[in-house]
Amino acid sequence: MRALDWVVMFAWLVFLVSYGLWRGRGSSSTQEFMLAGKTMPWYAMGLSIIATQASAITFISTTAQAYVDGMRFVQFYFGLPLAMVILSATAVPIFHRAKVFTAYEYLEHRFDAKTRLLVTVIFLISRGLGAGLALSAPAIVLSVVLGWPFRVTILIMGGLVVLYTTLGGIKAVTWADVQQMAVIMVALVIALAVAISMLPPDVSFRDALKLAGAAGKLNAVTTAFDWNDRYNIWSGLIGGMFLALAYFGTDQSQVQRYLTGKSIGQSRLGLLLTAVAKVPMQFFILFIGAMVFVVFLFVRPPLVFQPVEMERVQTSPQYAAIESRYEQAFDQRQAAARRIVASQSGALQDFRTAQTNLDAARADALNLSGANDTNYIFLSFVTHYLPVGIVGLVVAVIFTAAMSAISGEINSLATVTVIDIYKRHLVKEGPDSHYLWASRGATVFWGIYAMAFASSATGFGALIQAVNEVGSWFYGGMLGVFVLAFFVKRCTATGAFVGVLSGEAAIFTTARFTDAFLWYNVVGCVVVVAVGWSISALQPRNK
Amino acid sequence: MNEPQRTVADEPPPFLGTWGRVYTVVVIYLACVIGLFYWFTKSFSP
Repeated sequence: MRALDWVVMFAWLVFLVSYGLWRGRGSSSTQEFMLAGKTMPWYAMGLSIIATQASAITFISTTAQAYVDGMRFVQFYFGLPLAMVILSATAVPIFHRAKVFTAYEYLEHRFDAKTRLLVTVIFLISRGLGAGLALSAPAIVLSVVLGWPFRVTILIMGGLVVLYTTLGGIKAVTWADVQQMAVIMVALVIALAVAISMLPPDVSFRDALKLAGAAGKLNAVTTAFDWNDRYNIWSGLIGGMFLALAYFGTDQSQVQRYLTGKSIGQSRLGLLLTAVAKVPMQFFILFIGAMVFVVFLFVRPPLVFQPVEMERVQTSPQYAAIESRYEQAFDQRQAAARRIVASQSGALQDFRTAQTNLDAARADALNLSGANDTNYIFLSFVTHYLPVGIVGLVVAVIFTAAMSAISGEINSLATVTVIDIYKRHLVKEGPDSHYLWASRGATVFWGIYAMAFASSATGFGALIQAVNEVGSWFYGGMLGVFVLAFFVKRCTATGAFVGVLSGEAAIFTTARFTDAFLWYNVVGCVVVVAVGWSISALQPRNK
Repeated sequence: MNEPQRTVADEPPPFLGTWGRVYTVVVIYLACVIGLFYWFTKSFSP
């Protein structure tokens, strides 16, 4: 990064934190701090929900998914619009009318205190892990790119998040996200434009599509069903819908967003905005990854994208031989790509052979370092080829996107800690100011926890996969208990409680047989509902 | 501790008249998007 990039990066950081603090001013009651006084318009809620999801991981890992595995990851989001419709029709009016601060508060209204406590603990464990991961994963990558020590990167990111989340609450989080979304879109469009402009003069945009398709990178829809295949249309529509139902319907970090709405209608519109925008947005981000792949057919990419690991590999005695194989395979692949553009026969087979050789050389290099460089592919492209100033902007957006995700998470963790644990079990009667300060204290606590967790974490493969997988261990069980609460009138408190425990047991058992984690949500939810319903049928109804 | 303020009663959407129609449009939109992506995939398959 050059001087202008650093200036742009710090200017954006300062602006975003200041803007969040300014919009979050006046959070002088718990309702302001946790629910923004129920004043949020639909577009702010919708953009905030999208921004939280479009975290740093989206930039770093989603583009890399397309580069490595093609665009089929977009199918993961096919179930999301369906989930948004279902939640708009069910959860939104129920939570609004129940006048709750948290989703888990509703469970005590419907069942009992122990069911609320159980689900609260599951949320705190899963979201606590998620918050640590959301901080550590991008910090690992950014520390390498920025040349900062890992722990300093975590401290800066975490410290800024704690600052504006503690002072401004959910209002600061939401309004900072709105700004974030606008800049995210600008940065993405610039990245795609640069990628396309880097194509050789004799390769048109249509040729680029042809090449990406030939390499299997434009596989946006795959219809073959395979239980062990993580991303196909069926796992996306069914498993993805269950995951989205659980995430947006039971995870306080999302429920809290639409509880800030002025009305039921505003909250519904916020969710439906996400439903309409999310899938095309993910497609667009994945498409950038596919175009970066095409660019690297003609511009030689590094043998290893992670710069520190690359230096380590270069000191190895095997490096020269591997590099030579890599260069040869790259030249063969480039020649085959030009023949594909010219529609010559046999070109595709040659292309695939060269790609296999190139992948083998890269695998040998990565084996020498023992690292996975998937998460550095897009950043390598950004830092080497984007114009000066824009590099700083993109890195700043990635930086603040990570902060956006973490701020939402620690805000929701703090809210649940105060409402469902502290106020419910420890200090039941106190003035509002007491709980407001408790909320601020809980925010600081969870911020420090996330930083401590992140500091001790090591590398991850594909970040976005790790985050979603951790969520899938718990979401099915949480979704199941809310399905019981909303739709199974005869369900008793004991039925719900045992159902949740059974659902979690079923998920962890399933995880031993398949790593297609989208199905964990379906299994968990179905088991909770089946067990909860069965036990309730054998019991007198809960009063 | 303040209770969350009572929100207004369920109101109709700003367009299409009923929420049911809005939901139907979103589902049709999703089907169109998936159809478009399928066409995109098939168009550029080797």
